[in-house]
Amino acid sequence: MDSCIPCHPIVVLTLACALGGLPRAIEAQGDARAQVGAGRVEDVSPAPAGALRTIAVDERLVADRGVRLGDTLTISATPGGAGERVVVGAIVRRAADPSEVARAEYRVRLHLDHLQSVTGAGDRVDRFAVAVTPGSTDAALAAINARSFGFRAHRSSDVAAQASRTFAVVSRFNRAIGVISIVASAIFLLCIMLLKVEERRRDVAALRLLGISRRTVTGAVVIEASCIALLGSAAGVAFGYVASAIINAYYRGLYRTPLAFSMVTPGTVGFAVLLSLALGIGAGFLAARRLTGVPPLSLFGR
Amino acid sequence: MTVSHATGGGVPLLRTENLAREYALAGAPVRAVRGVSLTIEQGEYAAIVGPSGCGKSSLLNLLGAIDRPTSGTVLLRGRDVSHMRDREATEFRLRHIGFVFQRFYLMPMLTALENVELPMAEAGAAKRARRARARELLSYVGLEARGGHRPAQLSGGEQQRVAIARALANEPALLLADEPTGELDARTGRDVIALFDQLNRDGVTIVVVTHDEVLARAARRVVHMVDGVIVSDERNGPGDVGGPPRTTISPALVDAASPFRRTPG
Repeated sequence: MDSCIPCHPIVVLTLACALGGLPRAIEAQGDARAQVGAGRVEDVSPAPAGALRTIAVDERLVADRGVRLGDTLTISATPGGAGERVVVGAIVRRAADPSEVARAEYRVRLHLDHLQSVTGAGDRVDRFAVAVTPGSTDAALAAINARSFGFRAHRSSDVAAQASRTFAVVSRFNRAIGVISIVASAIFLLCIMLLKVEERRRDVAALRLLGISRRTVTGAVVIEASCIALLGSAAGVAFGYVASAIINAYYRGLYRTPLAFSMVTPGTVGFAVLLSLALGIGAGFLAARRLTGVPPLSLFGR
Repeated sequence: MTVSHATGGGVPLLRTENLAREYALAGAPVRAVRGVSLTIEQGEYAAIVGPSGCGKSSLLNLLGAIDRPTSGTVLLRGRDVSHMRDREATEFRLRHIGFVFQRFYLMPMLTALENVELPMAEAGAAKRARRARARELLSYVGLEARGGHRPAQLSGGEQQRVAIARALANEPALLLADEPTGELDARTGRDVIALFDQLNRDGVTIVVVTHDEVLARAARRVVHMVDGVIVSDERNGPGDVGGPPRTTISPALVDAASPFRRTPG
């Protein structure tokens, strides 16, 4: 590794790649109270020479193994290998990353030099993250890419976008399913409207005989269909919010992640309402035209 | 309150000349109305009676510009209404003809007041004006207190009175009624008959198709039809509501379930 990295205070590594089987190599000791940091690493400054070094551990480890803040653990690069005693200096909460939903391994955070010493492979690091001050990302990227050899620095947002491509495809599938559902609902609405206007054949015939124009009758049916579509949309949105909350609560608990599995966004709501309204108007229009295109006496069955 | 427009002098309100209407029924032509010539003057109250299938409803449809004759003409105030295009006929019916149906056909989601307003709204009347007239008309038919009720909350007789008020909304030249007492019991039927009588006294020209002998007796004129033709045209004296019949409807005419006459071949 190059020498510029240690000037940054925190380096995040996916321990699964460097320390496979870590959970079995950990021994929990001590009885300090655990404190969960809100997504931040706390108190991970390098320990003085001779003292035990601190690490940050995943809150899943806290939950599963009873690890507490201040506990002393032994970590090693291989299960059963000679390890190094460390102190839990921080507990970190996982970010909402869809690529890690189904992954069961635990994570710990070490300073880069510490990790190098634990693994005994000073320059074997696949990937690490560097925290920079806001606004200096471009400069940091340029500096790192200019000086490092064999490494390429990327924005975390670019990496996330790359990693989320699979989920983008899944999201498109979900959208397609949503659109199909709405179209199916619209066909259902059309059937309802056809049945409703069919029930009113004689009423419509009477209106036409009274001198009410086709346009007025069509308008009334279209307004009714639009109201049904809007009410249905409102009910659907409300149901969607409730279902979304239940789904999120269930899967967040199951996978222990803050990830949102189901989202009802304003854009989704707007799209659904507009689409169902348009389809409702279409259904009402078709249903009305079906009746007003027939002579009133025929509607009376004469 | 005006319930009907008076017609111009000299011209009969309604005149038909050799009116005929044929239908194709299962491939065979059926002559429902055959060469009917009839004149209805302004202020008349005529009942068209006859056995089922004699063509009286078909004639009413032709008089009301609902249907087009196969031949002949219908002149309302001198204007030929028999060959109007659909849109023109619809507009004409809205402004010049009031309809009362056997089954009322009030819009179930509207109140009585709104039902009466409906034709006026279609005709473009201002909301305040049409509401005021709707109230007047409901008051005229004795339902001023029921304006806020929906049809399902009204009795049959009340619904028919609302329907009559609706038919009068645009001050029609002619009120056409097809079996207006057909769905009512005897007592409420009499109320409706009395209302028609009052309307006629107030200047409304009425043509009613009926099987109801009491209603026919109440009319000033009774036109008998059999097999699509007028077989008699008689006049009753005034004020016959509830009195002895001056025009007797032949039981043979009433009871004979005469089918439409089919043209040979």
